Order: sequence, then structure tokens, then C-alpha cells
Amino acid sequence: MSTLTTITGVEAKLFLRDATAAIMTFALPVGLLAIFGSIGMGEGADAQNVPESFVPVMALSLAVAMLGLSVLPTVLGTYREKGILRRLSVTPVNPVNVLSAQLLVNLGAAVVSSAVVLVLAATAFGLGSPQNIPAFVVGFALTAAALFSIGLLVSALAPSGKSATSIGMLLFFPSMFFAGVWTPGELMPDWAEPVREVSPLGAGMEAMQDAWDGGWGGAANLVALVVAVLVAGSLGARFFRWE
Amino acid sequence: MSIIEVANLRKTYGSTVAVDDVSFHVEEGEIFGILGPNGAGKTTTVECIEGLRRPDDGTIRVLGLDPTRDRLELRLKVGAQLQESELPEKLSVREALELYASFYPDPADPQVLMTELGLAGKADTKFGKLSGGQRQRLSIALALIGNPSVAVLDELTTGLDPQARRDTWQLVENIRARGVTIVLVTHLMDEAQRLCDRLAVIDAGRVVAVDSPAGLVDRVSDEMRVAFRPSAPLDVSILADLPEVTEVSRNGEHVVVTGTGDLLYPLVTTLAAHDVAAVELRTEHANLEDAFVTLTGRSFDEEPTAA
Repeated sequence: MSTLTTITGVEAKLFLRDATAAIMTFALPVGLLAIFGSIGMGEGADAQNVPESFVPVMALSLAVAMLGLSVLPTVLGTYREKGILRRLSVTPVNPVNVLSAQLLVNLGAAVVSSAVVLVLAATAFGLGSPQNIPAFVVGFALTAAALFSIGLLVSALAPSGKSATSIGMLLFFPSMFFAGVWTPGELMPDWAEPVREVSPLGAGMEAMQDAWDGGWGGAANLVALVVAVLVAGSLGARFFRWE
Repeated sequence: MSIIEVANLRKTYGSTVAVDDVSFHVEEGEIFGILGPNGAGKTTTVECIEGLRRPDDGTIRVLGLDPTRDRLELRLKVGAQLQESELPEKLSVREALELYASFYPDPADPQVLMTELGLAGKADTKFGKLSGGQRQRLSIALALIGNPSVAVLDELTTGLDPQARRDTWQLVENIRARGVTIVLVTHLMDEAQRLCDRLAVIDAGRVVAVDSPAGLVDRVSDEMRVAFRPSAPLDVSILADLPEVTEVSRNGEHVVVTGTGDLLYPLVTTLAAHDVAAVELRTEHANLEDAFVTLTGRSFDEEPTAA
């Protein structure tokens, strides 16, 4: 317990000292919210038929995806590349604590960043707030778990910190596309919509948007997220190397 | 009882034999060196001792523990400094020591360690800003933070400048003075000669010899060469008649006397009896490098041949 707390505290400090991670996690989603919010996207029935839940959910999902697909695999890949994990493995500390601390720090960042987005969406931009809070929390937790599991898998397979970053980015952009970040609502091509339903970021956004409107995410969304967690998580744990 | 016992250790990676057959034991309180050229299997050997790798064959006991089976207990008692292991760039010296201290039930005081290792002034400096010597001192501090009985130091001074290297050697002697048994992996002859009480010479995955540095040298040759310039004309036959002397030759103004055993005393007294002083006197012994060449049949710098 105390060891995990200490490592998590240190990792949190290191996270905050990394300007890139902090900007991607906090400044980017808030900036997106500000830009799209100020041009009135999602307010009322605009031309693109974008629901008001879209912008805040997209902004906070982007933060979660950045953390899961970029920050987490980069840090773990670098730790392995530089022998930091190896050095830890000759101390009495269980290296699983190191992974747990990383996940906790990234989860904490995701929660804080999302909370800022939600507060700003409701207060500054008049986009309302999730109507079904339990469903929203479940959707958020599953999205974070799915993306972090994929990040863990990336860091397990990538040979170095740099390649982990590259692989993460290669996954990040298609994820954004299939999640409809660039083609919200009706603008998404027909063929891409089924993929959106089951791609981790797309399924997560749909689940959270449904919760925003008071419902629960569709079964396909939730099952897809659970499958992503189980498959990527178990493969990541299976193939993770300390050196 | 030996602190570390290694018997018939063998470790292969695929078809590469990293360690063929290594046996030695380390006694309490000594600085035990593992000396050999790059690729000889030194690091693999200590990684098996540290429990980082599982041997294919042979037995290892460290403080009576099996490094594979008793991993956790071993980690509490053995401090390790690994080759090429870094810390997060933005972690400060103090934070690193406090973090590692939290892993052990009875850790050393980070502040005291920092002072002892000359890092007190760098407590708040981030790892990424430390010099090579400072990083090595921090890695020694981390190896000692758990108050271990045994410290394994792998290529401790590689990449350091001569001054930092000598400072680090002094630190290692200080650590031993605290009662910590030290296993020192090195490919540097002068480091082994200066620090080690005993050492195992390893070549191509096998132990060639285990002895004190002086013992190793004596084993291959107790020959000694003395060169000097006589202060007055000298008939060298009076030296050639000494029982210790095997050869006398002239090299310009200098006389070179080769012999065995305690050559110097009879040589100087004989010269004195003839009222000749030995000016510019130099003595040359065989050194560890000569010992290595004789023991392995090849030069130290050559690439090791596949076992």
C-alpha cells in the first residue's frame, strides 16, 4: 500500500513535469471545447445536426485517448528502454506496482481533465451536463479502461519509447476518424458507422453521449469496450517485458 | 561460510553460450572481482546471482538463498548497480533515493548517503542534468539504500574520467569498510588490481583462475626486471653470478638485470660492495595483463572466440 502510494506520488510529479503530457491532457481538450463551443457547435439545431453532447464528450475522449495511446505507452516504453524497469526489478518492490502507479496517474489525469471539460461545458458554453450520471461514469470508466489497455499492449510490443510513441499515434488518428471526431453526426460516411460502433473510442463516445441524453450506451458499444479491455489487457499483461 | 557460492553455472541464449562453466565463492567482507574482456560472460554471471536471469544449469547460493526461488528475500539483502540503467530524466537525486528507500523495511537515511557519496549539493538536481560521475555515485547510493549485506557493482567506472574513476574507487573501499561484501565486475586491469582482494578471471564463459591479484601474477611469472644506470664503470659478471639473476644485458648506459624472487636486495648490496650506486633505477613486474595473456593464451583486447 505505502509503496504504491509513494510510487504513484513520484510518478504524478514526473507527469506534471512533462510539459507535453500536461498540454495534451489539459490544454488540448479545453482548447477544443473553447473553439467548438464558441462557434456554437452543438447549440440547438445547427446545420450539421450535431447534438450538444458531442463537443464535450469528444473533448474529454480525446484527452483519454491521448493519455492511453500516447502518454502511457511512451512513458512505459522509455522506462523499459532506459533500464528503469530493470533496475526496479532488482529491488524488493513488485514491478506490478510500477504499472499500477502509471495507470493510476493517467487515470487521475483523465478524470481531472474530464471534470474541467464537463464544468466548462455546463457553465461557460451552455452545453448542459450528463443526464444519466451512473451510465456516464460507466461509459467513461470503460472508455478509459479500453484505451489504457490498448496503450499497455502498445508498450508491451514496442521495442523502444520512440516506437511506442509512433505506434500510439498510428492508432490515435484512425481512432479519431472512426470516433467521428472529424466528421461528427451525419457527416460520417455510411461505411464507417459500423466501425464507429465498435471501435474503442467510437463506442466509448457513443456510450457517453447516450448517457448525456439520459439513456445507457447501446449493448454493442458496451460489449465492444469490454472486449477491448479483456483482449488488449490480457495480451498486454501477457507480452509485457521488463527489459 | 561463504557469502556467495557459484557452482558450475551455465547460461545460454539460443545457440550462444554466455556462461559455459563458472564456479567461485565469495567470502564475507571482501571485494571480489570478476575480471574478463567484453563478452566473457561476466554480466550474465552476476545477473544470475542477482536473480535477474535463471541459470540453465549449476547452483547459486547468496547468503544461503537461491536467487531464483528466494527472489524477494534476496532483493532485501543484495544491492545492485546495473550496467546501463538510468532513472527518469526529471527525477531528482533526493526523490530517487527517497523512492528507493520506500521499497525496503530498514533503509539507510537518504540524507546521510547523499553526504557520504558527495551528492548533498546535488540533492535537488534532476537525473537528466547529472554528470557521468554523479550518475554513477547515485547508482551506488541506490545500491546501498536498502542497507544490503552484499553489493554487486557492474562496470562501475566505465565512461568516467580518470579523476572520477579514482574517486569512485575510494568510495568502494569506504563501502567495504562498512562491512558490505562487494562483487565488482570489471574489464579494467588497474581497477581489479587496485580494489580486489581476490578475483575470478573469466574468459569465454569459463573461470580461468581465482586468486588475489598478486597471486595471479605470481602464478604466471615471478620474474622481475631491474634497469639502472651504474654510477661508476661496472663489470656485469659480478651480477650474473648472483643466484637470483637469470640474465644481464646492457642497453646503452643502462644495465638490465632479469631475475626471480627477491632480486633487488642482493643486487643493491652487491653494487654497494663495489662502490657502485644504481642511478635511475626502475623495476618492472609482470602485471595482471601479462597474467591474463598467459592464462588464456591470447591478448586481453582480442574479441573472445566462440566457446
